This record gives sequence, structure tokens and C-alpha cells, in this order.
Amino acid sequence: MAFDTTDIVLSLLKIAIVVGALLQVTPIMVWVERRGSALIQDRVGPNRIGPFGLIQSFADALKFVLKEDFTPAGANKWLFTIAPMFGLIPALTTIAVVPWGRPFLIPEAILYEHVSTIGWTLALALLFLGGGVAFSTVRVSSRGGASKLNVAVGWLVGAALILGGLAVILSLAGLKAVDAIRIPGGNRIFEPIVADLNVGLLLVFALASMGVYGIVMAGWASNNKFSLFGGIRASAQMISYELALSLAAVSALLVAGSLRLTDVVWKQTGYFVIFDTVKLPAWNVFSPVMWIAFVVFVIAAFAETNRLPFDFAEAEAELVAGYHTEYSSMKFALFFMSEYIAMATMSALIVTLFLGGWDIPWYHEPPTFFGFLLSALAFVVKVTFMLFVFVWVRWTIPRLKYDILMKAGWKVFLPLALVNLIIVALAIAKGWI
Amino acid sequence: MLEFIVFFVFAAIAVIFALAVILHRNPVVGALSLVASFFALAVMYVLLEAPFLAVLQIIVYAGAIMVLFLFVIMLLNLQHAREENTRPIQQFLGYTGSAAFGLGLVYYIAKYAALQLPNGPFNADARAVGVELFQAYIFPFEMVSILLLAAIVGALLLSGRLPSKVRAADGEGAR
Amino acid sequence: MIPTHYFLILSAILFTIGVCGVLTRRNGITIFMSIELMVNAVNLTFLAYARQFHQLHGMIFVFFVMAIAAAEAAVGLAIFLSLFHHRETIDVDEANLMHW
Repeated sequence: MAFDTTDIVLSLLKIAIVVGALLQVTPIMVWVERRGSALIQDRVGPNRIGPFGLIQSFADALKFVLKEDFTPAGANKWLFTIAPMFGLIPALTTIAVVPWGRPFLIPEAILYEHVSTIGWTLALALLFLGGGVAFSTVRVSSRGGASKLNVAVGWLVGAALILGGLAVILSLAGLKAVDAIRIPGGNRIFEPIVADLNVGLLLVFALASMGVYGIVMAGWASNNKFSLFGGIRASAQMISYELALSLAAVSALLVAGSLRLTDVVWKQTGYFVIFDTVKLPAWNVFSPVMWIAFVVFVIAAFAETNRLPFDFAEAEAELVAGYHTEYSSMKFALFFMSEYIAMATMSALIVTLFLGGWDIPWYHEPPTFFGFLLSALAFVVKVTFMLFVFVWVRWTIPRLKYDILMKAGWKVFLPLALVNLIIVALAIAKGWI
Repeated sequence: MLEFIVFFVFAAIAVIFALAVILHRNPVVGALSLVASFFALAVMYVLLEAPFLAVLQIIVYAGAIMVLFLFVIMLLNLQHAREENTRPIQQFLGYTGSAAFGLGLVYYIAKYAALQLPNGPFNADARAVGVELFQAYIFPFEMVSILLLAAIVGALLLSGRLPSKVRAADGEGAR
Repeated sequence: MIPTHYFLILSAILFTIGVCGVLTRRNGITIFMSIELMVNAVNLTFLAYARQFHQLHGMIFVFFVMAIAAAEAAVGLAIFLSLFHHRETIDVDEANLMHW
């Protein structure tokens, strides 16, 4: 396996993009969740800090950092500390096997130009944003009527953005100085996926099953009966629904004939032509034998990420806050982050398996940088839509009963997924699809 | 070179956590250590060019079997149970005997099983394993599925709350 | 490429640790975990030889071992659960009803 500097730089770039994007999901989703719930319940929601309360999440993050990091007496200290990390790591790593754009050909020796263009754009955007925030903070604080926290958050965010911009410029200059990016051997294909494994989807399930441990450890190490109940409920629920989830995904794999998620997406780039008139994109949702799998997968994804209507792990009416009752400060924030990141990963998986991944319907993306940008944008739009569905469902459907959830998992969704799998297998064997 | 670093790091992890399993008094810590050890073994499988089985190892062992262990430990609240030491003679014989056994095993492997490196990469992806499984091994495969069914029924019978009708019909056998 | 006997030695060490756990512990679940460790050590050996001789049979065997280990864990833990319900302990020395 030969690889050179370009490969390493490209891999690091991909990892930086993916992890950076995922870490941004949490603050944005917290804002969307609060404003979305306000919208649905006919309230206003957070609107004090920043325009439309956009900076509220940063203020929350600041508050998390400033809170006391408390470990209850009688807790198993070591496990109590590593449990939140165990929760976050699987959520962050799963995205590695999901493709997020159309591969494109990097022309010869133009990599540096691309990197510097992107870098300068990013730096300018950061500087502008930071300056804007700082300026509006000055305006607001000179007029009075803003709370101290508001002003402090404004200054901090502005300074952080400006510093970020300066850091990007500095690193660009540094890269130019050591000539690290002007490396030979363009003319290679840029695959927008961190690790294109031939066991991609199985790895997703392996990592998803590791996510249980963070919750179980948190519940047990807290030495609190509510935490323990939350942890046990969460793990029972995740194990039960993982089966339905995997079986629903297997039918998508059968259609693609590969465990590689890039193959799954490429398979969906074609069209279903109905009666020679309607051209539907060949996404798995539109396939006559696959939509049951889609429904099962989405429901199981809700259960797998412990979201309402299946959030028994932290059912606040019954268990205080479930497995993270005893957690405070940044440790609690880590659980929060892993919940939202798991949601984003699940949305990305739903999009990849059933909604055509980065495919833009009725449009043939050119294999260039432009096409890559368009397809990546399409992917982000689809994932955003799925995330919004998560929020939408949470504030629309009430919580089920726990025994109903388990019964539904084993007696409805698992058999449904199995029957659908058999139908898909038959359809493929007969050559219908 | 990189491969050897990975090998030794994860071999050390596997061995240290395996030792924690048998030496630590708290079964919850033991179970979690075993998970770490299995994870390191999955890395070994990747080094052995069997990524499919590596992922299966994580799904089946780390993801399913060990969660079951943890569940039972938590359900029975075993973390506070005092486990008394075995008899001194048993301890002594156990440790020395297994150490001798292990040393002998390592010695003979190092002496006789130092094989030539295989030539060429080994293509063992999911497709190859699947084709072999469903052609040459279809009968054992079906047998294993029956065995799993029997295990489900057995586990339910041993631990589950059966309906009272079944219990009455079971008569003497019921607890 | 890492020579096969490295894996074999690692497998031997893990197997020995498993044997030691079975011989020296009283807690039934720990003994059970030691058995799982031994099974995994054997799996590693199978895979090492599968790569050595470019044969798929070792892999298939590991596949079967995993399935059987899952069955074994289910039944074994159910036995421990029922032992605990009767005796309030999972100390294997206490499970002596059939002892003569």
C-alpha cells in the first residue's frame, strides 16, 4: 500500500472537514431544537443573545465550561470520568465510512491553489464574522441595556473568530513557507470519504454497538438508581433496535451488492423510468420493494439515538434525567454532544442508504471540483432535512410506554424488516430490480 | 514497520486487559477490560487481513456478548458481592501450573512454529467468506442456526418468567 | 507483514491467562469470561493459520465459533441467573447440589 505526502495531507484534510462539521452540529442543533420547539409550541424561544438567539449555544457552552465538575460520593470515579468519552468516540468515528460528495479529479499541481483559495476564503469569512460580532457588541454595550454575560459572550465569540481567521492565515503562510502543499502528483481522484472500507456498513454497526458502553458505564458508575435504570433501559433498547436497523440496511446492501457505502450511493445515481414518462431518481426510497426498509430504518434510528418518542434512557418524567442524572459541567456537555452527533451520523446514514447520498436528482454532476461542491451541498441539505425531521418528530409525538417500545421492536419492526429482506432478495434473484 | 508498532501496542493492550479480567475483584471492571481486550484482538484480525471477521468480532463479542455479561452483572448487583479467594493450594497450583503451561506453549511455538511468511496478499473479504460459507459449509451453517434457536429456548426456559399454564404443564420440572 | 508465530505466541499468552482465570477464581461470571478469552485466543490462532496457508476454512471456523460462543453466553448466563435465584450467589463452589 503505497502512499505519499499528498495522500496524508488529503486524509488529514478530510478528517478535519468531517470532524469540524460534526462538532458544529451540536450548537446549531441545540439552537434549531429550541427555536423549532418554540415554533411548534407557539412560543418565541431563545432570542436574546445574537440575532435570533443564534449565539445562545455558545453562551451555553461557556456556561458548561464554567460549572463545577462534580463527582458524586460513592461513584466509581474512573469509570464515571471515561464514560462520556466512550459515548462520544463511536459517535464521532462512524461518519468515517460515509461518502459525502462526488469524487473528482484533482488536476495536475493545482492542489496548492485549491487549498490556498479555500483557506483565504475561510480566513476572510472568519475575520468578517468576528469583526461583525465585535462591532455589534461594542454598539450594544455602548447603548447599555445588555447584560454582562451578553457582552462577555460577544467579545469572546468575536475574539475567537478573529483569532481563528488569523490562525488560518498564519498556517497558510507557514505551509507556503515550507512548501508542504506544492507536492507532485496531482491527477489523482479525490474521494470525499475518510475511509472507503469494503466492510463499511458493518463497521458502522460495530461502532454503533460500542455506543451502548458509554451509557451503561455512565449509568452504573453514577451509583444512582435512576442512572442505573436509564442505562439499562438505553442498552436494552439499543440492542433490540439494532437488529431491525441492521436488517433494514441489509436490504439496501443487497440492492447495491456491496458493503461499501460508496457503491451503495453509486447504485442510486440512476433513474427509475415509469411508463416511459416519469423519471424518478433511483434512490432506494422510491424503489417499490425498499420503502418498508426505509420506514423501519428511520424508526429504528430514532430508537437507536434515544430520541423521542423513544427516549426512555432519560425520560425526565420517570427517571429525572436517566443515565446522566449525576453528570454536570463538561462531562454532561459531552453526553449532549454525543447525542446530537449520533443523530447527525444517523441522518447521514439514512441519506446514504435510502435518499441517494450526494446524488442530485435530474442533474448530472460533472466530475470536477464544481460538481463535488454541488454534490456535497446536496448531501448537507439532505442531512439537514433529516435532522429537522428528528426535531419535528420529537416535538410532535408523545413518549411511548417502555414495554410497548420493546414489544414493537421485537414483534413488529424485526419481522417487518425480515419479510422485506426476503422480498428484496426474491426481487433481486428474479431480476425485477 | 508501522504494522509492527500497531501489533505490539495492541498485543500489549490485549494482554494487560486480559490480566485485568482475571485479577480484578470487581466483575464490572473485569467485563469492561474484556471488551478492551476483544477490541485489541479485532485489530489483530485486521492485521491478519480479515477485516470482515474483525468487524464481526466487535459486533458479536464486544457489542452483543459482553453487553449481556454486563447486564447480568448489573442485574444481580454483583459489584458489591465479596468474592473469597480460592484455597491457597488451588491458587498456587493454578498460577504455577498455568505459568508453566504458558511458558511451554510459547517455547514450542517459538521453536517449531516459526513459519515462512506467506507469499502474496490473501483475499478474504466478505464475499469470499460468504461464498465459501454458503457452498461448502451450508449444512454446518444450518446446524448452527438450529443450535442458536435451541439456545434461545433454553435461555428463556432457564431464566424467563413463563406463563403459568406452561409452568403447570411442566409440573415437576418447574421451580 | 507480521510473521505468523507472533500471533501464535500472543494467542498462547491469552489462552494461558484464560486458563489461569478458570483455575484460580470462584466467581462464576469471571470464570465464564475467562473461557470467552480462551475461545478468542483460539480464534486468533485459526485466523493466523488461515492467512499462513491462504485457506478460508479457518475463517469459516472462526465464524462458527462466534455463533456458538453467542449461544453459550446466552445459556450460560441464564444458568447463572437461575443459580443466583436459588442460592443468592454465583460462587461456583456453592453450586454443589449434584455433588456426591
